[in-house]
Amino acid sequence: MEAAIKDQLVSIEKPELVAPPDWEPVIMGILCNWCSYAGSDLTGTSRIQYPPNIRIIRVPCSSRVDPWFLIKSLQTTADGVLVSGCHPGDCHYISGNYFARRRFLVTKKLLNFVGFHENRIQFSWVSAAEGPKFAKVVNKVTEDIKKLGPLHLYKKENFEKK
Amino acid sequence: MNYTNQIQEIAAKLFAEGKIDVFVGYRMNGFDDNQVPVLITGPQDVSKLVFTDKSVFNLVNYLKTDHTRKKRVGLVVKGCDSRALNLMLTEKQVKRENLYVVGICCEGVVDDAGQKMQNCLECIVPEAVVYDELLGTAGKAETRAYKVNVDIAALAEKPLTERAAYFEEVFENCIRCNACRHSCPLCYCAKCCIDQETAALYNGANTTSAAFHALMTWSLHLAGRCVDCRNCEKACPSHLPLHLLHKQNESVIYENFQEHLAGVIPDDRGAFYKYSLKDPDDFIM
Amino acid sequence: MNVETFVTDKAGLNKFYEAIMAGHETYAPVEKFGKFDFNRVSRIGECNPESPISKTQSIKPLFFPRSAKVMKYVATSAGTEVSEVDEDPLAGKRVILGAKHCDARALQVLDKVYNWDYIDTDYQKRRENTIIISTRCDKADTHCFCTSLDYDVENLDALDVLVVNGADGKIYLQSRTEKGAEFLQTDVTRHASRVTKEIAAPDLKKQYDSFSGTFRLKMDYKEVNAKLSRIFDTPEFENVSGNCVSCNTCAFVCPTCHCFKISDEKVKDTGVRYKSYDSCNNGYFTLMAGGHNPRPVKYRRWRQRAMHKFVYYKERFGENLCVGCGKCTIACPVNISIFEVVNQVAIGQ
Repeated sequence: MEAAIKDQLVSIEKPELVAPPDWEPVIMGILCNWCSYAGSDLTGTSRIQYPPNIRIIRVPCSSRVDPWFLIKSLQTTADGVLVSGCHPGDCHYISGNYFARRRFLVTKKLLNFVGFHENRIQFSWVSAAEGPKFAKVVNKVTEDIKKLGPLHLYKKENFEKK
Repeated sequence: MNYTNQIQEIAAKLFAEGKIDVFVGYRMNGFDDNQVPVLITGPQDVSKLVFTDKSVFNLVNYLKTDHTRKKRVGLVVKGCDSRALNLMLTEKQVKRENLYVVGICCEGVVDDAGQKMQNCLECIVPEAVVYDELLGTAGKAETRAYKVNVDIAALAEKPLTERAAYFEEVFENCIRCNACRHSCPLCYCAKCCIDQETAALYNGANTTSAAFHALMTWSLHLAGRCVDCRNCEKACPSHLPLHLLHKQNESVIYENFQEHLAGVIPDDRGAFYKYSLKDPDDFIM
Repeated sequence: MNVETFVTDKAGLNKFYEAIMAGHETYAPVEKFGKFDFNRVSRIGECNPESPISKTQSIKPLFFPRSAKVMKYVATSAGTEVSEVDEDPLAGKRVILGAKHCDARALQVLDKVYNWDYIDTDYQKRRENTIIISTRCDKADTHCFCTSLDYDVENLDALDVLVVNGADGKIYLQSRTEKGAEFLQTDVTRHASRVTKEIAAPDLKKQYDSFSGTFRLKMDYKEVNAKLSRIFDTPEFENVSGNCVSCNTCAFVCPTCHCFKISDEKVKDTGVRYKSYDSCNNGYFTLMAGGHNPRPVKYRRWRQRAMHKFVYYKERFGENLCVGCGKCTIACPVNISIFEVVNQVAIGQ
């Protein structure tokens, strides 16, 4: 009991706000159809465990990910976002992930600049053959975000967390 | 910096030769030494035109309004304005053959208080890059080097919580009039994505969350395209430091993507329309 | 009507303000990013009741918020459940310090439309529960023209308590309404001394005369009203609207503009319906669902704005919808002045 009080988890951006004891992060996972989504599938079929905190959305390509998606998910449910696509050079659409890479860097830096911890917005390259890597990535992201505490910045007013 | 006479001559000549239907320039506002943009439709008003260091507003904005659509336009551009024009041309929003561009070798403009504007102090492309006629003489290019904006550098050093609190105040003070967007020369979409009316996408209310959404989306759409003319800041009725968002993006892009600067090279469509195999990859797992 | 008049000095005025803040819910201009907006305050140090008029937003958002919740709903497959919104945060008893005369007057103009065919009970409640304390300006700003319009700035009764900086450091507090008189009778004025109305009158008059002499802009509103109503089709509107960038900020800072839009914001099943400001300069303000837009071009929208301010509202309610505060001109990125526009169009100056 004492340990629980000592290790009270606070939101890193707003240290005055304490997380409830049973708090679990919600992570928005946006995965490309051709590599990362197939990779996550492989993780499942290989029976490798990964945290259930991630909510996966499938997109055709990582360059389909508009920075808007990240902003909108941070505004509502998500405590963090993971975007994953094919390794450079492996893009199904030849160069989609190269374009995406540029956008990711700028978005991450801008969100960090306005006050989000950099670990709340994470990116990874996971190919269709990398089931274990996907589990590793999700584990790492979940652990990172668990350390940061719940996100309290710019949440929609009428949003009630469930 | 005073090109009033030259601009009046050029405008008179263009109207006399029948090359343009409307000339976009500046005039005195009539009661103090500040200037306002003016659209001149005939040679009778040419004497109103002025150009000094008080000619602040970016006139490229007028290329997207009713008064210039499908008309032949004469236009005065400073360095930053010409970069915006360059992007408008590259993005095929205006036709080059309909324009007669008077470029200026800008020495920096001043704000209402008479201080040189911050973007002018940091400007590294003061000469017009697109023009039919260039006024003034170009300065030495090699003396200018890209500097990270002073406000960005100061904020970046602060701890995360302080930055978060600062920006929360910024977004809280936004009154959601969208004047920043409308006064931006590069926001020309007929229907903006932040004006969504669908309930699930709506972010038009005056809440901090909606303001965060709008300004962040807006600045990311302008990342790699913003030319730092500060029309948005001039328009903001709450005096918000909107340049912070744009300059942050600009500095990240400049440092990481082969020193890209928006609109400097003709036919260069913004940083997000191209890529390099050498782009940074270390932030990706 | 019972008129209460008090005289005090600078320190006494601050004590008066402090007494108000101690006992009432108080709103006053608070500086943020070099701009003053009316916020809840509890100490005199937080705010500046003497904020410059050119940098102060209007008090309209305290009566007609920039976004107000209309209702909440939960939409599930079983049906939609509508619920009332939380209590109106602006409905309580409160005092506004440092309001400008033009802002107070704007509320009088707005009352007409809010008491018209539909009575807005929220607005009424906010109005009834508010005491407006307004300092008379000592000097007109560059874009002010309140004395040229159809109201008596000197004897304005839109405010409850008038504060005037008289000669020799004297500061007068005078009630203008019954509500204001009652308020001044309470112990907030314990640091001021009561005088009769007649003693204060010459000083108030003198201050007003020196103030009204500082106006740069003067016009004859009757001429503007009469001429504008006849020249709907003048091409002059096309000329004056030329350098407008349709940024809409004029309507957002205007103390009398009252157009709004209704929109829903929904997350998962839960939604809120908002009533937020809108502007007639917005390109799709009049866009209809079928795609038709009666005001598709800029000059028509500008014409609507000018005509609504000086013709339509005057015809319907007998007041100009402009109070001459100059806020639109200050906020405008290209300094278009409604004063210049109506003068240029109507009188051809």
